[in-house]
Amino acid sequence: MTTPEGSAPRTRTVDQAFMPEGEPWQRVSPVLAKAYRIELVIGIVLGLVVVGLLSLIPDMPPAVPVVLAAVLLVALVWIWIVIGRRVRSWGYAERDDDLLVTSGILFRRLVIVPYGRMQLVDLTAGPLHRALGITTVQLHTAAATTDASIPGLTPEIAAGLRDRLARRGEQRSAGL
Amino acid sequence: MSERDPLSFEVLRPASGPDAQGRRRLHPLTPLIQGVRWLPAMIIAAITLPAQMELTVGAGMLLAAAAGVLIVAVLAVGWNYLQWQRMFFWFDEDGDLRVDSGVLQKQERRVQLSRLQSVDVLQPLLARLAGLAEVRIEVAGAGDSRQSLQFLTLAEANALRNEVIARSAGVRHDAEEAPEQLLAAVPAGDLVISLLLRAETFFLLLISIGVITITVLTAGSVGLLLLLLGGVPIFQVFNQFARYYDFQVADSPDGLRLRHGLLQRTRQTVPPGRVQAVGFVQPFLWRRKGWVRVRLNIAGVASGNQGSGDQSYTENVLLPVAPWPVALAIVARVLPGVDIPAVPLIAAPDRSRRRAWIQWRRLAVGWDDAVLVTRHGRVTEHWEVVPHARTQSVRVTQGPWERALGLASVHIDSTPGAVRPMALYRDAGEARDLAEAQAGRAAAARAQDRSLRWAAQQPAPVAPPSAADEPAEGLPAEATADHPDPSDRG
Repeated sequence: MTTPEGSAPRTRTVDQAFMPEGEPWQRVSPVLAKAYRIELVIGIVLGLVVVGLLSLIPDMPPAVPVVLAAVLLVALVWIWIVIGRRVRSWGYAERDDDLLVTSGILFRRLVIVPYGRMQLVDLTAGPLHRALGITTVQLHTAAATTDASIPGLTPEIAAGLRDRLARRGEQRSAGL
Repeated sequence: MSERDPLSFEVLRPASGPDAQGRRRLHPLTPLIQGVRWLPAMIIAAITLPAQMELTVGAGMLLAAAAGVLIVAVLAVGWNYLQWQRMFFWFDEDGDLRVDSGVLQKQERRVQLSRLQSVDVLQPLLARLAGLAEVRIEVAGAGDSRQSLQFLTLAEANALRNEVIARSAGVRHDAEEAPEQLLAAVPAGDLVISLLLRAETFFLLLISIGVITITVLTAGSVGLLLLLLGGVPIFQVFNQFARYYDFQVADSPDGLRLRHGLLQRTRQTVPPGRVQAVGFVQPFLWRRKGWVRVRLNIAGVASGNQGSGDQSYTENVLLPVAPWPVALAIVARVLPGVDIPAVPLIAAPDRSRRRAWIQWRRLAVGWDDAVLVTRHGRVTEHWEVVPHARTQSVRVTQGPWERALGLASVHIDSTPGAVRPMALYRDAGEARDLAEAQAGRAAAARAQDRSLRWAAQQPAPVAPPSAADEPAEGLPAEATADHPDPSDRG
């Protein structure tokens, strides 16, 4: 990565900007990586089935399905590795007045949601996530762009978090 | 209002009064107007479809088409009649608006007026000719939070509007309509020129010319349809003109009133304290004129669909075109005590050039005690102003290229709408500090803010003077006075 002029101490601030020290950061369950990887494998297998069907088309150069399958397998390995880092990048911190949520490796983000602004707290879990025992907590404010969801929490932690958030939201509620 | 509408014949008398339970009905002509609305489209379809299928048009053909149109029209009016028959509205004991409706599926709705965001009185052309109007009430809430009542006579609609606003404000609901003061009017000439100077108009006209040229050159049996298609872009421009024609902004104690429209007249009322964010847009060609377009975010008014990825909204225009000073003066009514040019702006660092090589010089963010101001865009310049008390959440984002440069962007999440405040490509550490500080400022402002509950906290006064009670909310006059003018807008 290039470091432009006058930027000596910056690399540290970059990381600090998205997960600053001194906050009570909580990580999400590593089971989330398992869930993502199962979804990934299902997706890749479906892709391979499509490639297999492609090869049945007459006049199809044999190289095409082979190249496509190779691409899919490389993607499998690469995304498999990235998922680990992606899951480790999730974090949330409950502070006195707001909740911090951070995530992302390539595209990073940090969301500060004041408790007084929360309108809904959703708990959701699809069939796969339920089977693995993880839940997603999603916060909604009056802004559609808020996008503060925390996946990969065990049901107990998620329910506890939801109840704390709801209680604090009620105490600090500020209308619109 | 009392002004005489030259297009309205106003032949209709108000519908019958409330029934035994105090419930009221809409005007009995409603189903007819709702049904007739589709007639032009049906006639066009009846004409173009046979032509498309290259059928020979004989007398029998015409008769069949006319009969088809007639049957569909009768069915539509009949269905609308059933809907009208089952539609009732009234105010309940708590002072909230209740609406019962539904033919096959019954719906009973209670519109909580304490959450009122805006009230519109609309007159689509047909309704306007008959002297009827639609009342559209927006309350804060997820999903479908809009209640539309169509149609009432204009006088009834205005009375209902006043009653809704008075009840939501907590004043006596039989209060007189609050007096108003005209703040600005957009001359038709300025509106035409401003529309012609927009890049999108240019492209739309180009498309129209292209389509029409091709049609003329290749003129075949599809000619009519293509000509219609070619007209669509021109129609878009005309539509903009028709929508914002005769735009007037007036101030009154119950909020800002916007009136506009050539064919469809719209009267919009925005109660005080409901504005979530204000955006200024200046297309490149407007710069020499010093013109600007002003848009608003109002909770509930924008969102069409539910769901978090919602990008759809209708543009809430406060002023379609106005000189900067006029725009600033009017925004000062919406955000009392805020002096936008006096807010000191901080430019993005020089290395943001590598991320945004056109607009980097225009990137800036600034704040004072009341609002945060962001600026971006080189060709079309955008300014966004969001009061601290209206900040929903704060986001810091960073893409790979920003990361390589040690930059990050701060987004202030506002309610869905055209205005999206963003401080782009700041130093990463600064972005983080800015987000943290903004969250703090928002929390402090929320704690002091009382305009949210102007309804609940003012039981007595008949016409709360909005201009007088707003600046008391943590906006000392000296807050903005000691800044030098940092504004370098051209």
